Amino acid sequence: MASISAKRLAKELKEIQTEGCPVGVNLLRADDFQTWLFSIEVMGESLYKGEVQTLQFRFDSNYPISSPAVQFLVRENEGIRAPIHPHVYSNGHICASILGTEWSPVLSVVAVCVTLQSMLASCKKKERPVDNDRYVLHAPENPKKTQFHYDDDTV
Amino acid sequence: MSARREPLWFCHECHSEMRPLMVPDPVCASCRSSFVEKMENAEDNPRDFAHDADPDFSPGGAPSFDHILYALLNARRSPNARPSPPGTRSHLPFPPVPTLSPLGRPASPPDADPVLNFSEFLRRGPEPPDGIAGPLMMQYLLSLLGPRHEPLGRMGPANMGDYVFNQEALDRIITQLMENSSGNRPVPATDEIVAKLPREVLEDESPLLQKDCAVCKEQFKVETEDADELVVITLPCHHPFHEPCILPWLKSSGTCPVCRHALVPQPSHHPPGQPDHESGESSNPHPNRASPSRPSALRSLFGGSHASGSSEGRPSRSNSDPASRSNPHRRNSRQNFPGGWGDEED
Repeated sequence: MASISAKRLAKELKEIQTEGCPVGVNLLRADDFQTWLFSIEVMGESLYKGEVQTLQFRFDSNYPISSPAVQFLVRENEGIRAPIHPHVYSNGHICASILGTEWSPVLSVVAVCVTLQSMLASCKKKERPVDNDRYVLHAPENPKKTQFHYDDDTV
Repeated sequence: MSARREPLWFCHECHSEMRPLMVPDPVCASCRSSFVEKMENAEDNPRDFAHDADPDFSPGGAPSFDHILYALLNARRSPNARPSPPGTRSHLPFPPVPTLSPLGRPASPPDADPVLNFSEFLRRGPEPPDGIAGPLMMQYLLSLLGPRHEPLGRMGPANMGDYVFNQEALDRIITQLMENSSGNRPVPATDEIVAKLPREVLEDESPLLQKDCAVCKEQFKVETEDADELVVITLPCHHPFHEPCILPWLKSSGTCPVCRHALVPQPSHHPPGQPDHESGESSNPHPNRASPSRPSALRSLFGGSHASGSSEGRPSRSNSDPASRSNPHRRNSRQNFPGGWGDEED
């Protein structure tokens, strides 16, 4: 029997393929049920006009009970950078409560895309989080690991 | 200060007792080793391992690995430690064991015999040419040690976890404190609460068959391979779920996935009756992200670890606002996204 995560992701993928993504969001890659890539563009007037971001989702086998690990893709050598935003660290990690404490299995990949898109859309000033340098210095590879610390790995 | 103190951790590498750094797995705050153990069980005291060579603790017990390696270390450095015929034990110098005592009291010299026997074993056999000779074996063992003895010599025994020595370490600890603040971590539902939830087995005429499970997003149906999926749990807020879908969620958060109705009191970043916005924060663009006690500040949508000022956190009613845009996801979703923009805008 397919795992719950595979079942649910298959359903989400099918919906994306049949009904399409919201405006400004495009599926770039979903070859498996581990990592998906989307492009995100803020439509209309915004500080990010003309910028296209790449959003990476990583799922574990407990999705959707556990939140996906979501971050902007950063590939310095290819010129792919995280958008400059008060909640986006330069390593692509995103400080958004729906990716952490406020995650709910009712949310979906597309819902996260839309939320992050509007997070960018509503930005008034392009700047990095105040603690960017310190965070990036010690940040774990997976943003879920220390940023919110839900899986209690201290035990 | 709470009455019940968190147990300290013991580092099997440098023998300090400390609170480990979580990066995210625990490592020793003194020597960065990951060979650390929480000292929560009095019966299973990790310090005992370090004192095995102490006659007071375990007469005739095996010497600790540390002692053996120190012996080897000194044997290698000392010019008169050349391999000698078996039986001439007196040539082996003994290591400065007392500096190893993790508890700050001088350790009594360990029982020498087992160490020497072991050293002899290393020097003697396996016999060349078909095995690793003693000196080679020593080098091998020492290479396993790596640089780990350096902090021992420099800092000596103590609860090094209580101190930091440079800016970087301080940074790391502050970051750790801020990120680990568990103040707004969801509280799981207790087994008792879960056991009392009303369950219903799907039947042909059940009105539930018109509805979806919001976790797997499948409609309830009677034909299913998995008998567990015939059992539906309806939460007090009237939202129904497959039992196998909702149980794992309730174990991580005792709330309704759809409406966040709390089955157990949740950390209150969501004061009841208070609208879900953050207008009170406008003067403070970056409140201290470590303070879980700020009620509605941390509730802000993007406030998981730092709350934004209201000017940034509020979506503008531009045409990029998802609430006003045609959106395939929202079309068939009865629910609004908890914590999402929909809460504020609808």
